[in-house]
Amino acid sequence: MVEVKNLTKLFGDNLVLDDISLDVKVGENAVVFGRSGTGKSVLLKCIVKLLIPEAGEIIVDGKNVYKIKEKELNELRKSIGFLFQGSALYDSMSVRENLEFPLIRNKKSMSPEEREERVIKALKDVSLEDAIDKMPDELSGGMKKRIGLARTIISEPKLILYDEPTTGLDPITVKEISSLIKELQKDLNVTSIIVTHDLLCAQIISDRAVVLKDGKIIYDGGLDYLTKSDDVFLKDFFTNENIYANNRSINGK
Amino acid sequence: MEPEIEKKNTAVLSKGLTEFFATVSGLTFFSLSFFKEVFLPPYEIAEIKKHIEDLGIKTLPIVTVTGFIIGLVLAMQSEPVMVRFGAESFLPSMVSLSVVRELGPVLTALIFAGRVSSGIGAELSSMRVTEQIDAMEVSAVNPFRYLVVTRILACIFILPILTLYVNFLAIIGGFIAIYLSQGMHFKLYITAVFKSLEFADVIPGLAKTLIFGFIVGAVGSYKGYNATNGTVGVGRASTSAVVMASLLILLTDMVLVRLTVMLWS
Repeated sequence: MVEVKNLTKLFGDNLVLDDISLDVKVGENAVVFGRSGTGKSVLLKCIVKLLIPEAGEIIVDGKNVYKIKEKELNELRKSIGFLFQGSALYDSMSVRENLEFPLIRNKKSMSPEEREERVIKALKDVSLEDAIDKMPDELSGGMKKRIGLARTIISEPKLILYDEPTTGLDPITVKEISSLIKELQKDLNVTSIIVTHDLLCAQIISDRAVVLKDGKIIYDGGLDYLTKSDDVFLKDFFTNENIYANNRSINGK
Repeated sequence: MEPEIEKKNTAVLSKGLTEFFATVSGLTFFSLSFFKEVFLPPYEIAEIKKHIEDLGIKTLPIVTVTGFIIGLVLAMQSEPVMVRFGAESFLPSMVSLSVVRELGPVLTALIFAGRVSSGIGAELSSMRVTEQIDAMEVSAVNPFRYLVVTRILACIFILPILTLYVNFLAIIGGFIAIYLSQGMHFKLYITAVFKSLEFADVIPGLAKTLIFGFIVGAVGSYKGYNATNGTVGVGRASTSAVVMASLLILLTDMVLVRLTVMLWS
């Protein structure tokens, strides 16, 4: 579904992605880990051509996103959902208008009744039916994230890119959102690339884990191995062992 | 001058010039994109209508006060001089010609720039830094057409209407000043006003507000749409939009006045 080939992205002199390659199959949930600033979000933005890399190519659903024309790219984008880190809700529109926005423009044959039905279903999926007429500034951070997710899934995309879908949410909501992502994969065979730091979320949804470090992929495989790895970086990232050791040394115990 | 200070000044000057030319070329391409996109569907009529209402309502109170005061002050200032030359009967013509040809269009455009250009700059830049514009693009909606074209069109449409309104109020303001000092009757005043105004006075004045409207919308949108650096960028976009739009309005006015004089006289 998504083929990333030798992707290199620079910001000024800063090499963010260094010749990375990745192949995500149809119906697969690939979770991308890495420290802040390692280019995880940049990778997602390159996939939808929000950013243009210095080298490499990306093929989504058989189409090279950097070579196709604008019209074709827009057709492709209609089949892709993107959940932004900060939700990116349109703050001049109500929740209903936010959710209707992609439907009105991309599914013109849909009747207002069908649209309303779709909006209510998406809100039910994220347990926020009551927020339908609220404005984004009346919502908490967690609620915004869930509405953002509802807007992402409302067009029933084939590929969804999640940029930290559960950051800032309580553990119960994390489980709910993660289960929803898993259900989408199971019921609709949706392919997902999920950037996260949340191990609980990853444990629920991941088929495959990819770890980025200094712009390179240093691990690509199952999640189980990561938590048992002897590698210092992976150990630091995925287990609490070193945190406890640090605490002990700080407390002098 | 010491060589180090000279070097520093040269660096500042060259940075300033680079930024200036980058802005000029950026704004030119941005404006060209507008003319390319404006004729392509979807036309987002509802959005244009919403902006027209919003911009009109936002600017109405301040232009009402300004319009009235322009006419009043202009008549009050000119009256003693006109009396000295025994030309007080020309006061209505002087007020109406000054307002319709120059003061009305330019002052309305400057006020409109201060109120609207900064608003558009702030709104779009905050959408940019919170990734709302990216979200629109990813959902296969052309954000330029939806956000920029609609706002520029609304500005082009609303500014001539506001200018007509300001002209009317300024003429009324002028009457009040003349009535209080000279006791001139309204019918006499209004007859003198209409007698002095010609087609060649009204049309160029209104026509240039179409260009001023475009400048206000385009500069505000350009600054907001290309904002960077988070919340700092939002503030910068908002203030620099007003400065740039005001400057461009005055420069364009200078050129247009010269053109009008050449064409109509």
